[in-house]
Amino acid sequence: MIILQNVTKTVQSGADDLTILDDVSLEIPDGEFISVTGASGSGKSTLLGLIAGLDAPSSGEILIDGASVTTMSEDELAELRSKKIGFIFQSFHLIPSLTAFENILIPMEILGLKDAKDRAAQLLSDVDLKNRGHHYPTELSGGEQQRIAIARAFANQPKILLADEPTGNLDSKNGNHIFDLMTELHDQNNISLVLVTHDQSLAERAERQVILKDGRVLSDELTRNGNTGNF
Amino acid sequence: MFAADLIMNFIFNLTVREIRSSWRRLLFFFLCIAIGVGSIVALRSLIQNFSRSVGGDARALLTADFVINSTNDFSPTDISKIEEVIGKSSIVEARNEVTETSAMSRPLDKSNENFSFVELKGIEPPFPLVGNFTLSGGKPFDFSLLENNGAVVAPILLDDLDVKIGDKIRIGESEFQIRATFDEEPGGTGGFRLGARVFISKNAFETAGITQNRSRVRRRILYRTSDNPTEVVTQLREALKGSTITVQSYRETQERLGEQFERTENYLSLTGLLILVLGGVGVWNVARVFVEQKRKSVAVLKCLGASGNRIITVYLLQILTLGFLGSLFGVLLAQLGLWLAEWRYHDVLPAKMSYAVHFSVAWQGVLLGVLISLLFSALPLLQVRNIKPRLLLHDAGGEKMRRLDLTKTIFGALSLAGLLALAVWQAGSLKVGAFFLVGLGFTSLFLYLAAVVLTVLLRKIKNFGSFSVRQAINSLYRPGNQTRIILLAVGLGAFVVLAVQSLQGNLIREFDFTRNAKLPSLFFIDIQKSQIDELKQIVQTATGENVQVVPTIRARIAFVNGEPFDFENRETRQQQGVIGREFAVTYRPEMDENETLLAGNWWNGASNNADDAQISVEEGMSKSLGVNVGDWMTFDVSGRKIQVQIANIRKLDLRNTRTAFVFVFRPGVLESAPQTFVATVLKKIPAVERAKLQRGIIDKFPNVQIFDVADIVAAVQKLVNNFVLAISFVGSFVILSGILILIGSIALTKSQRIYENAILKTLGAKRPTLAAILLAEYGLLGFLAGIIGTVFATALSFGVSKFLFDIDWEFDLTLTIAGVLITTVLVMTVGAIASFDVLFRKPLGILRSQ
Repeated sequence: MIILQNVTKTVQSGADDLTILDDVSLEIPDGEFISVTGASGSGKSTLLGLIAGLDAPSSGEILIDGASVTTMSEDELAELRSKKIGFIFQSFHLIPSLTAFENILIPMEILGLKDAKDRAAQLLSDVDLKNRGHHYPTELSGGEQQRIAIARAFANQPKILLADEPTGNLDSKNGNHIFDLMTELHDQNNISLVLVTHDQSLAERAERQVILKDGRVLSDELTRNGNTGNF
Repeated sequence: MFAADLIMNFIFNLTVREIRSSWRRLLFFFLCIAIGVGSIVALRSLIQNFSRSVGGDARALLTADFVINSTNDFSPTDISKIEEVIGKSSIVEARNEVTETSAMSRPLDKSNENFSFVELKGIEPPFPLVGNFTLSGGKPFDFSLLENNGAVVAPILLDDLDVKIGDKIRIGESEFQIRATFDEEPGGTGGFRLGARVFISKNAFETAGITQNRSRVRRRILYRTSDNPTEVVTQLREALKGSTITVQSYRETQERLGEQFERTENYLSLTGLLILVLGGVGVWNVARVFVEQKRKSVAVLKCLGASGNRIITVYLLQILTLGFLGSLFGVLLAQLGLWLAEWRYHDVLPAKMSYAVHFSVAWQGVLLGVLISLLFSALPLLQVRNIKPRLLLHDAGGEKMRRLDLTKTIFGALSLAGLLALAVWQAGSLKVGAFFLVGLGFTSLFLYLAAVVLTVLLRKIKNFGSFSVRQAINSLYRPGNQTRIILLAVGLGAFVVLAVQSLQGNLIREFDFTRNAKLPSLFFIDIQKSQIDELKQIVQTATGENVQVVPTIRARIAFVNGEPFDFENRETRQQQGVIGREFAVTYRPEMDENETLLAGNWWNGASNNADDAQISVEEGMSKSLGVNVGDWMTFDVSGRKIQVQIANIRKLDLRNTRTAFVFVFRPGVLESAPQTFVATVLKKIPAVERAKLQRGIIDKFPNVQIFDVADIVAAVQKLVNNFVLAISFVGSFVILSGILILIGSIALTKSQRIYENAILKTLGAKRPTLAAILLAEYGLLGFLAGIIGTVFATALSFGVSKFLFDIDWEFDLTLTIAGVLITTVLVMTVGAIASFDVLFRKPLGILRSQ
């Protein structure tokens, strides 16, 4: 369970303070697929980053499975991500000096999993890139890179998958493929999936949709796929 | 598997993968370390091997276990004292006597008009007691070669005199037949020697008419022992106390040589360390570039759950691995360098010298390389801690450095302490090591400040000049620019090389006798009183000059204020060469024009009795002896003790002198002592006439020795040139390190340059324009570095000339202009080559990827 309580994020912009997130409170139960939409600058990516502990809120609290993310040290946050969180970026962020296979291996090696290589091979196969494992990121297309990024995000068997515009840099065919892959893996593994997207049609395929505007929650509703709701 | 193993597994795997993909980028790192380690290992090996072949065996150098030296004939009393001590010793195995002097030689064949100065050695069997004496062709020396006035000579004498084996030469009043030449003489080191070595038998030496009333005949009794001679040497010194006879054991020689070589080795190692530290600056730069380029990868790893420390460990391991491999490559370079030295300099280095890198030196070099890698990469790598994973969502660019970062301060202090420890280790002394580091710090600070001032000035004129020049000046201020670092590194290299060149010019000028009107062109020494008038006449006829003739007496210091020197005392023994030697002294009523009084008064008229027997002492010698006006000194002149009081202390202007005497006696003291005369010819006469005059004098007075100042100047110039060559060689390594730093710095700003070029191209700039900007930028950098280098080199050369060497200094405009120009062209060329590919990148891809 992810809980955000009155989370505010302010940054310095020139001489003024700029509020990116303003008193946001959310609860995301285990296994739920939630989409976050909103205009540019509405605070979507910041929200995702705060949940992953990539940045700290200015005020408020974020709890993951009861543990407060806001009070954790850098190393504790790293450990939390290693054990519970998978992250997918719009621009993939694969490590250019490692092959596709090695990129998938990394989270498992950080965690110290014994059967890392077998599992990496399985994940490669799951994303239909069995024969591309020895290629470096620059030798892969955008769609392929994102599939490797998804495989990497699932490598440590996270309880939470955070995806920041995962299809934003892809054409619609590749975008749909990636989306299907994510939802499929979500369904199979029963993980919480938080998807930040511009694409309304994709957002509606989630179980619940949160719309942000100027850093505040404009609406938080179940979609027609949602089977539970708290509002 | 344990958690620690798992962590190590991750670190190890990632390190291997990173090295696989990043080694090209870290190639400069590798080269910086390799060149630094290479130079330190090469310099240390060279001096160690040299010391092993020359000083390692002090017995062979001394050709005995201990030696008794005297400049007079041994008196019967001395001999009985010596024999008494030797008789009681059970370790003495063999002895021989050797007499040495310098003399003039010429072929017996009247039609051959050559002549040469020789270093004559009269020997008796068994010879040598210790060491090898090998004739040309490899045969060992046989004493029968010297019987019936035979001579064994250095091969160079055959060239000098244009004679061959079997020919006869005249030395003094005797004729000698050259029976053989030699390859290796016992105790010969190939050091500075004015004349060729000639061996004759001791009996022939005594009857050649060169020992009668002669100066500079050194007599030595050599002993070989079966055991440590220290005790017998102490007993001999005790027995001979108060006489001017000195005793020298190979153990003390070894100790002294060992100390000298160790000092030289340590100073050379510091030079090597300087190069390695410059390499370290390169490492620091490369590590910064590396962290900058790895920002996103670090953020991704952190996002995936790796802690900052684990990531730092991965990069640290990578750098240590490359540092280790670079150091190994450096050792290989050092070995190549030594082979190069063998190929190029084998004729001036000792014949038996080894050119191998020793294991102990190699591992020291590798350790140094790894430590320098660690010390200089630690701080840039700490930056990894400040890289936040959020940059993957929004890259604001560049992590802010926290001003008061305790960890960085601690690591900075640790790095500095580590560097100090390395300097102390290499210098073998805390004081020298600290001095080196502080000196380097101040030099760098001054160079850096000069760079700051120059760049500020440059900014003032940025609105002048063409588009290319304006852009070039702007480029020097782009974010993350390396301008000051490049100016510091290249400026330092130019500074070292130019300072040495400038000093060379001034040193050689100092020895150029044509510039010193008072320096004679010819010295005639050992003239007998009866020969003065005729010699003056000959010189007058040949040159038209009325030569000045000065009496000289050979004397040793016996006592100072009634106390003899105690050569058992180590500090006194270290000064033995300065205070224990035989001095040429003179007497005269007036002070010379090149002398000034520092203390006391000059005498008035001749001395009448023992109470007013006085002496004038040169300033430096008064310091070595620790004496002042009013002190008493006793000299041994041909076995007679003469006591005199110090009347004054004098300063000698050596640049403006005919003759220079350390001790000048008041007239009335030495007139009756055995003496010879020195005549000096001031007039500069052409070489052919000079040779004719010398030959005339040798024919007429075989006992007279002639020093041709031109020959001495040539020999000294050769020494200075070798010295300069050696330092320039080291200086070129400094330049090379500077260039590596330059290339590393170019790499650091390359992505920025590529981006700027893409924009300029999009805006319509053509390749020639971009190329002009590139050349102007590096041209400006080189020009500024050249100015910094030459200004500081000129200042150093001035300081060293004036205050250390005490010689005249002249500004060398040609060198200054050449220094600035060469540095400009060098930096421009290196910069252009390293950035050339930037001109050919297609802009679209670059702009999209930003």
